[in-house]
Amino acid sequence: MAEDRAPNGRSGETTLVRDISFCGVPENGSNASMVDVKDGRIIRIRPMHYDWKYDPERDMNPWKMEVRGSIFEPSMKTLIPPYSIAYKKRVYSPARIRYPMKRVDWDPQGAPGSTGPGGRNTQNRGKSKYVRISWDEALDTIVFEMNRIKETYGPTALLYQCDQHGENKVVQACHGAGRRLLPLWGGYTLQIRQPDSWEGWWWGSKHFWGCEPVGQGRQSNLLYDVAKNCELLLFWGCDQETTPWGWQGQLPSRLSYWYTELGIKQIYVCPDLNYAAAVHADRWIPVLPNTDAALYLAITYWWFKHGTYDKEYLQTHAVGVEAFEAYVMGEEDGIPKTPEWAAPICGVSARVIKALAEEWASKRTSVVIGNGGPGIRGPYATEPARLQNICLAMQGLGKPGVNQVKMIEWGLFDFPDQYAQPKPLRVPNLRTAYTGGHPSDTNHPSLPKTYVPKAILEGECDWWGCESETAPREDQFVHRFYPAEGCSRIHAVWTDSPSWITCWNSGNDYVRAMQHPDIEFMWAQHPWLENDALLADIILPVNTKLEEDDIAGDIFSGQYNLLFPERKCIEPLGESYSDYEIVCMLADRLGLLEEYTGGRSIPDLIKLGYETSRCADLISWEELNEKGYFVVPTAEGWEDEPAGFQRFYEDPGSDPLTTPTGLLEFEATGLKEHFPDDPERPPVPKWVAQGVSHEETVGTERSKKYPLLVISNHPRWSVHSQHEDITWLREIGTCKITGPDGYQYHPVWLHPSTAQKRGIEQGDVVSVYNERGTVLGAAYVTERIMPEVIYMDHGAKWDPIEPGVIDRGGAINTIVPRHTTSKNAVGHAVSGFLAEVEKTDLDELKRKYPDAFEKPFHPCAGPGLEACIMGGE
Amino acid sequence: MKKWNLIIDVGLCHDCNDCFLADKDEFVGNDFPPYSAAQPWSGHRWMNIERKERGQYPLVQVAYLPMPCMHCDHAPCLTPDGAVYKREDGLVIIDPVKAKGREDIVESCPYGAIYWNEEASLPQKCTGCVHLLEEGWSETRCSQVCPTGAIRLVLADDTEMARIIAAEGLEPFRADLGTKPRVLYKNLYRWDKVFVAASVAYEDTDECAENAQVRVAEGGTTVGEGATNNYGEFTVDRLEPDGRYEVSVTAAGYKPYTVEVTLEKSLNLGLILLQKA
Repeated sequence: MAEDRAPNGRSGETTLVRDISFCGVPENGSNASMVDVKDGRIIRIRPMHYDWKYDPERDMNPWKMEVRGSIFEPSMKTLIPPYSIAYKKRVYSPARIRYPMKRVDWDPQGAPGSTGPGGRNTQNRGKSKYVRISWDEALDTIVFEMNRIKETYGPTALLYQCDQHGENKVVQACHGAGRRLLPLWGGYTLQIRQPDSWEGWWWGSKHFWGCEPVGQGRQSNLLYDVAKNCELLLFWGCDQETTPWGWQGQLPSRLSYWYTELGIKQIYVCPDLNYAAAVHADRWIPVLPNTDAALYLAITYWWFKHGTYDKEYLQTHAVGVEAFEAYVMGEEDGIPKTPEWAAPICGVSARVIKALAEEWASKRTSVVIGNGGPGIRGPYATEPARLQNICLAMQGLGKPGVNQVKMIEWGLFDFPDQYAQPKPLRVPNLRTAYTGGHPSDTNHPSLPKTYVPKAILEGECDWWGCESETAPREDQFVHRFYPAEGCSRIHAVWTDSPSWITCWNSGNDYVRAMQHPDIEFMWAQHPWLENDALLADIILPVNTKLEEDDIAGDIFSGQYNLLFPERKCIEPLGESYSDYEIVCMLADRLGLLEEYTGGRSIPDLIKLGYETSRCADLISWEELNEKGYFVVPTAEGWEDEPAGFQRFYEDPGSDPLTTPTGLLEFEATGLKEHFPDDPERPPVPKWVAQGVSHEETVGTERSKKYPLLVISNHPRWSVHSQHEDITWLREIGTCKITGPDGYQYHPVWLHPSTAQKRGIEQGDVVSVYNERGTVLGAAYVTERIMPEVIYMDHGAKWDPIEPGVIDRGGAINTIVPRHTTSKNAVGHAVSGFLAEVEKTDLDELKRKYPDAFEKPFHPCAGPGLEACIMGGE
Repeated sequence: MKKWNLIIDVGLCHDCNDCFLADKDEFVGNDFPPYSAAQPWSGHRWMNIERKERGQYPLVQVAYLPMPCMHCDHAPCLTPDGAVYKREDGLVIIDPVKAKGREDIVESCPYGAIYWNEEASLPQKCTGCVHLLEEGWSETRCSQVCPTGAIRLVLADDTEMARIIAAEGLEPFRADLGTKPRVLYKNLYRWDKVFVAASVAYEDTDECAENAQVRVAEGGTTVGEGATNNYGEFTVDRLEPDGRYEVSVTAAGYKPYTVEVTLEKSLNLGLILLQKA
């Protein structure tokens, strides 16, 4: 066996198998990697070979798809993404927090709202520097403040934010270790992360086709179904060469090349020639950001007009078609939704819309989605989501080759119908040993993440639904209030693995909320000094996963599922601990340690993970430890698993949907009953140009001042806000652009015509702005973007010039819409909004903000620790 | 004897940079005597990926060209004193001791594959992962991490390699430099050839002109042909750059359309409206 599969015996290195992925939920591990270690140092990180200790034929029941004379097989190695390979640099980052720190001008003796010396100075959050303190001082202060807040306001005055992306860990979970402690302590308010990856599907599609819990279509065996049956794939706002990386690696890439080899045509519908389109597209149909609803409507118009849809299928599988047809054909509002009507709205010519409608109707077509992207996280995202579903329904959803196919999250939340890849014999599950918070957790009281700034800045608010990220459709009809009856307003915030500012709605509002005098205390735990941690009064140092023992499953790769115990690769840096250990220390000081841990040690929990993994009958604990990993064989008969909506297609009566009628609801029963007059999410999906929540389309009054449409996908070179300090990634031309001041700015994609009109040239530092704030970036002038549209991916490290006003790091989410998906749907709207861009006068900015520009920054890693520590390191 | 060859398929590279990063991961901070001293922590691109946009909005593609040291058989960087030497297996190695202070070696590479390490005062480049191959690896770091199989390490004798080159249509990048690289490319046309493309519609009906015939000629000789698809678009690829071409589009019942262009780079002619005959 070649040495590249095994440890480097001769070099004296030790090889450890680690999950290096970044979702932060226990069911979602992936990217198994081999880490070679020598003398307490990480030498290299490389793909893991499934056949290192196992014989594929004997042990793994290898799958293969043999279709149209071609064979597709999984690779014998894991297809890990750039971030995993470069993770050494994240571990040893200059931004690593190595000891507890306190914000220098926050004095816990100060009265609430106090400013100046001896005050709490909440107004300085984001500006203040930090000083090193001892663990004792840090923990004593936190416990003192927790108890003071509880005595003054009650325990619900503490908001726990524990839902953000982070390293995948199980026993040492990167967020939410406090969720089991706080109820023992007396209670708390839980920030509920609304379904940010699936907004349009969750708030929209669930009312069309059910599909709990996130509203995306059934995925079972679809990768095979596409290969066998599809003639055309419409990648709609999908970039499978970007978004899946941190979750599952790069099998989607290999698949995309294979589908082309099979002769399956790939069309990409998106405002940007994204990274997948750049290499896989047979055709790119550029559509203006967040106008997809108009495009879908024109397609359905063409089908209704020419009868090129499956009428019989709709008679048995759908309700409300007449109401929809009446709207499309103009009987309801006098405006037929013709291709000529849609063309000026969506930027696609009428003749191309017609050609697309005809091609779609004449070929076995699936729509491919990949979360993120420009299509599903914008204002009124419920409408394009439902209209896309309607298009699929009109062509016989569930027919072989006619489904909504996901290029991400294969196996999401452990749901069998989410397994698009050949099914494994078992899906390892480590939930029992998991110490952190889970998307399905609920609490009373709670607050949707999107409403945190509103609640704090306005003092009260109300909303519908959002009991948890996996709450069923019916929950969207439950009315909730802040402050909840008998509960307190928020006066303290505990945050872990924080990334609110760079990832949510109107990050600048969040900054202002955290600067509000009502927030008397805020503490954070995180391995790196970055993003929201820069607002905290006390910061606790957390170690990275390579410094911890744990257990992991790799279940998202699409290749083989794995279970493996994880041994630490290096000793913790500085005085850092795992999140779980930190919460244990807090529990100890609160006198709750025994209750909190249930008497279990970390090794006990790791073994518990194995025992409850669903694989304990397939491999012994001893053998698992000796081999270092277990490969779950492919299930026998995976080929025969029904594909996507196949069963529903064949007999809707025997396999009903979870909609009230069990059928596809062109007019949503639930919405009609509860929100019959909501113009922003009407019972029948519509084109909504603007409304009480948003004015973010071209042609509105606002667009006179801010004429450009901004799209913002998930970033290619980081996972949300993670990895921004990996210097090697910053050396990639599409990751950062070095400005004349030596600072590495985040790229802003502009078409040459957009740039020229504004006197902007490649590499210029530019300001992207609207009334919500300003973000600096550097111009990336490219043919890959529509004219009058700019692209800036989210997640860039927040580096405020003036917190809440202007940012240098490129955190575009600081200026995205503050209002939610729509009035009654509290999703966030983070792509498809208006702004203007201009060349930045750096000298002028330096004169205006001398302190910000004098702050030291790492020329290759960006803003780091030295700018924030009193007297430097 | 078996020699080191690297085959890179431009048609399978999507610029994930796994190879670029694996190289950094391997060599930054790690010494592998006697073959290499540690790469500086920033700035070197031993596996350099160039990127190029082909065409203009909205008919545009992107091509990527991963470029390590070419390990040329006629390597201009070789020095008589052994500071840069060629091994029997074809690898070209810069000796990290003997080459100390030799900044001149950086300039000797026509591919720009040699970098100067200021701190160590050393010229440095891709070693072909010789230290790993000697430990028994059958892959280089870059070929091992490549998720799509765009980079393949082939250890083969010259006869076998000649067969592979012919069978797969492999070619060196910039063969004109005459250095006989051991890194060979597949689908290199995506990098070094150009296309002409356009969208074609009928002026009278404003419909996409499907199946219009396209001919590209140079000096009266046809050098490329194609037809428009159902969106009225055509792309005629693999044309030599800087040529002067006549592009003609014909469709039954419509007047032929002809235009002369010089293709310095791939060109989208934009929308062509065919007039009724």
